[in-house]
Amino acid sequence: MSLPGLELTQPSERVLAVAPPSQIALKAGSEWRFEVAFGHIVRVKLLTGTAELFGTELAESQTYTFSGTKAAIYTWYGCELEVSAGDTGTVTSDGVTPVAGHGAGGCQSEYTAEETPMIEYANLHFALETMRQEAQGSGKDGPRVLLLGPDDAGKTSLAKILTAYATKVGRQPLVVNLDPTEGILSVPGTLTATAFRTMLDIEDGWGSSPMSGPSPVPVKLPLVYSYPLANPLDAEGSVYRPIVSRLALSVTGRLAEDEEGRETGIIVDAPGILSSGKPGSLELINHIVTEFAITTIVVLGSERLYSTMVKQYDNKPSASASATIFDERISVLKLSKSGGCVDRDDAFRKATRESQIRSYFFGNPMPTTASAALSLSASSTSGVTLSPHAQVMDFASLSIFNYTVVSAEDEDEDEYDPSTLGMGGSFLPPGKDDSTPQHSEPDRAAPLPGIIGLSNDVHNPSTSNSSSNVPLKKVLPPAPSALANTLIAVTHASTTAPPAQVCDASIMGFLYVADVDAEKGKIRVLAPVGGRLPPRAMIWARRWPTEVVGLVG
Amino acid sequence: MSGLVSDEVAEDYKSSLEDLTGNDRFQISNLTVIAKENTEHAMAISRVLENHIRSTPPQQKLPALYVVDSIVKNVGTPYTLFLGRNMYQTFMNAYTLVDTQTRRKLDEMLKTWKEPVPGSLDTRPVFPPEITRNIESALIKARTAALQQEQARGSRDILNRGRGTGTPPGMSRPANNHHGTNGQAYSTPTPPQGHRPGSELDALNRDLEACILSARNDFAAAPFDPTSQQRLKALLDLQTIMRNQQLTPEQLRLVRDQLSAFRPQASAAQNQVPSAPPAAVPAVATPIPPPAPVSTPPTQTTSQPLQNLLNSRTLAELIKNTAIRQQPTPPPAIPNVMPPMPQMPQMASASSTPQPENPLIAALRSRGILPPASAPPAMGSTGQGPTRDSLPFLVSGGISGMRSTPPAPTPPVSMPVSSTVPMNTASMKIPRVALVVSLYEAKSNRCGTCGRRFPTTQEGKEKKARHLDWHFKTNQRMSEAAKRAQTRSWYVDERDWIKSREVDDDQPVADTDATTEGGAGAEGNVAKQGLPKAWIRAPNDGTLRNTPCPICQEKFESTWSEDVQDWIWQDAVKVGSRVYHASCYAEVTKDGPAPRSSTPQARTGTPDSVLGKRKAEGTDSPGGKTRIKTEA
Repeated sequence: MSLPGLELTQPSERVLAVAPPSQIALKAGSEWRFEVAFGHIVRVKLLTGTAELFGTELAESQTYTFSGTKAAIYTWYGCELEVSAGDTGTVTSDGVTPVAGHGAGGCQSEYTAEETPMIEYANLHFALETMRQEAQGSGKDGPRVLLLGPDDAGKTSLAKILTAYATKVGRQPLVVNLDPTEGILSVPGTLTATAFRTMLDIEDGWGSSPMSGPSPVPVKLPLVYSYPLANPLDAEGSVYRPIVSRLALSVTGRLAEDEEGRETGIIVDAPGILSSGKPGSLELINHIVTEFAITTIVVLGSERLYSTMVKQYDNKPSASASATIFDERISVLKLSKSGGCVDRDDAFRKATRESQIRSYFFGNPMPTTASAALSLSASSTSGVTLSPHAQVMDFASLSIFNYTVVSAEDEDEDEYDPSTLGMGGSFLPPGKDDSTPQHSEPDRAAPLPGIIGLSNDVHNPSTSNSSSNVPLKKVLPPAPSALANTLIAVTHASTTAPPAQVCDASIMGFLYVADVDAEKGKIRVLAPVGGRLPPRAMIWARRWPTEVVGLVG
Repeated sequence: MSGLVSDEVAEDYKSSLEDLTGNDRFQISNLTVIAKENTEHAMAISRVLENHIRSTPPQQKLPALYVVDSIVKNVGTPYTLFLGRNMYQTFMNAYTLVDTQTRRKLDEMLKTWKEPVPGSLDTRPVFPPEITRNIESALIKARTAALQQEQARGSRDILNRGRGTGTPPGMSRPANNHHGTNGQAYSTPTPPQGHRPGSELDALNRDLEACILSARNDFAAAPFDPTSQQRLKALLDLQTIMRNQQLTPEQLRLVRDQLSAFRPQASAAQNQVPSAPPAAVPAVATPIPPPAPVSTPPTQTTSQPLQNLLNSRTLAELIKNTAIRQQPTPPPAIPNVMPPMPQMPQMASASSTPQPENPLIAALRSRGILPPASAPPAMGSTGQGPTRDSLPFLVSGGISGMRSTPPAPTPPVSMPVSSTVPMNTASMKIPRVALVVSLYEAKSNRCGTCGRRFPTTQEGKEKKARHLDWHFKTNQRMSEAAKRAQTRSWYVDERDWIKSREVDDDQPVADTDATTEGGAGAEGNVAKQGLPKAWIRAPNDGTLRNTPCPICQEKFESTWSEDVQDWIWQDAVKVGSRVYHASCYAEVTKDGPAPRSSTPQARTGTPDSVLGKRKAEGTDSPGGKTRIKTEA
């Protein structure tokens, strides 16, 4: 009835009848790879044996639910799984019936693979464990691992495996996410550092950041910084670099005091773009290696990058202060990319980003009446629903900053905007626009309706003095209409802080702008926590991480 | 310039318009300048513009409309006149087909049309008011209709709107055709699919072939570019399907939808291939946005009423154009066809490359430590072939088999390396199955709820007991918490984070001192707040709220707590189902032994005997204070 590859456009009437649970027997050392579309739910239960999802072990006869996931369940000793389709009817509340795939339990695709690089990944863990034991004995610092590789090479999955194994043997790894396209315990567009002592969440990837109530899987406490652009290489890394340095400083501070963290070391998940060989990426890698005093560089799925890294770093002393005392040297490793790595297309990535933002405000969307009824003891199936607070705020009372650098891939700068054109009554002659270099001149800053007129009049004396070297600029009233449907990061910096402080301040949380009333100067926002918003400087990242339309009705 | 015939100008203009695929200010102003210099051909250019907007894929409608906007604002009269004539149809046609975000931009643009040209002396609006008014009222009607529809569907979808995949656009249309008997404007135009399937199939096949041709060129130009690879593969798959199967009209339409996503490239290639084949390559190779994944669920909800509003003539035209040329939803499914493709070489290389270049493996093999070369040293192959004999315990897979001393051939592999694993690439390839034991059997005492493992030692047992206790408490609190609203806490700042320590649930109670408040998040704050003074959350239940303290007969006052982010009653304590002032209660009960289970922190009105027992065994230190702290 259906065309291959057209699942998503398949009419909803033809949704396959809910498939009966199917059993999958996995041989030792093989893995079951599965993809579940957004809006569809697949339940997985371990019947016998042992199995792990990215290193985190599944409990026997507990039901785990997955939605919007591409993942793999591996077994060292063999196991039997039961896969069934979720009760889709109760899941989607948007009136759209999600479409089941053809695989077991309605997975979009699922198969068993016998060839996996898990041996290598486990060996990496054992090698790190060796270094940790050494660190424990000698008082030197634990290993600092940097994971490099192109997009969709399995960096984050490997980071999960290493983290899960480390926590499993009682360590406390500090996971640093430097990839702004993916959020770890936060929304995308952030760089985070988190110490993991407790288990990762099987269903949710990493787990959840603290909430006011209890959570079935212990919450993790991330330190969050905002990097409001998609690409770390934007503006020659001039925005990215200071934030990385700041993050590294905090991490170093933590490790200096946290004995267990120090022994276990750091796992750094680097953005895939750094492995693309784009100009400036090697400099950024070098920056990361230096700032975190990396001891182990792991390259996934890129022979070229591996050889570059070997040339540059292998057997060189690490940047750590104690490197000379302990003769600490960097080792560069190459690991195979898993055959299970699938390219996540833009649509999937966007959906992932949106769901991360959604669950930041509304909690885990998974709980359904069906799963709640299943069992109360099956903690893994009962998610948490959060209630964010909507409120109307005076735009003029807020201190919102906006980056003035232009993303290399962001053509917005050259976009035609009906509300600004014709303003001067004449055209920019062709070419003039293009020749302007992309650096932070305040008057070229942001082509935002509402700002551009003002900046033309005001910019000369006031705006360019303090912020000359920081590409941050205050967004002045009237409220730009582009604010709608975007996120605003609330920093820990005070409202009066200079831009230089704001840009690398850690983040308290995010607001979602539901509505902009430019005439009254009011904006309606969704805040995670109720009550008055603390008076803090905020960073508005325009369209990044993504525009989520209709988060609030 | 004026020497040119209108047709030529129009033709030129058309091809430049086709190059406009994104919102590019430079191109738009360029097109405006051309229009300005050719005002004598304004009519032809306007027609080209209208046709272009009508036929271009939805993603490219906005830029094209921006050209219109730019022209009417910067050039003015002749164009305003010509473009104004059909503006209603042009605008509405585009509006029905684009996604919500683009619609918002269109709304904004429409707003500027009602105002005079900024900076101009002329006070008249950009377009005559009657044109914009028509469009506006149509939009308002459509929105109202959409809203009503939505309300009818219930409010439950508000939060999740925009998630997942929408009802495919095609669905609404055929569905309407079926029960479109109620004289809707709709039933008049024959839906294209049922009309002349034969010729349409041919056309489709032709289109497909053209697309494949262009994709081939594309692929030849950049053989390593995964997108072109994938596109070609997808197209070829599609062709096979078309040839081998009888497709229903509906399926054909889906195919057409898919194809329309490739159309811009295809037409570019078609134009150029015959004249100058090499030129086609750069044209095609320019990074075309891969079938742009536009999620358009809201589009469909509104587009129906919109269409009802349009008169039948426009509609016939609209359907004819759109059904053949494009659909609002480009096929998001395409990428799903491909995953196997790019992956295959990866897998092959992964398994084949390491072998020749790995001297260590070779050395091991020569000494007979590793099985002969046929089996790559990957775990995946251990279950089959010769390895099966050398590593029998693996296949038997049983935990018991693992723990008993492994058979003779295996020890040399794992035992010597078990203590230290060197950090280098070669060392990573050596299977060290024995070490995996440290992840599994070394801790054989498993938690049934979360799969966490504990050693079988006495200490491990204690840890597990504490861990189970944690589960129990969490579950209990989860069911309580479900009754009141919970919120995401703010993230901590740098200093708190550096000072914070991760606390495991299996830690002895004493370990969790004040430094963990960060880790505990808001709940930690609650505990901290709660300690000096007893308080409870103000009950939601109206009668309970109005019941005074049974001891002093005074009512409770609700105060807003910043830390808890909720209304609370200070100095209050709930005992059983009644709420007392904590001070009153303490006064009354201070002589008798205060029941432990009803200490100020008693958070619940759900007395439970099991609960009481659990609490007692978990808390040997005073009251519930420390207990709460450990619940992070």
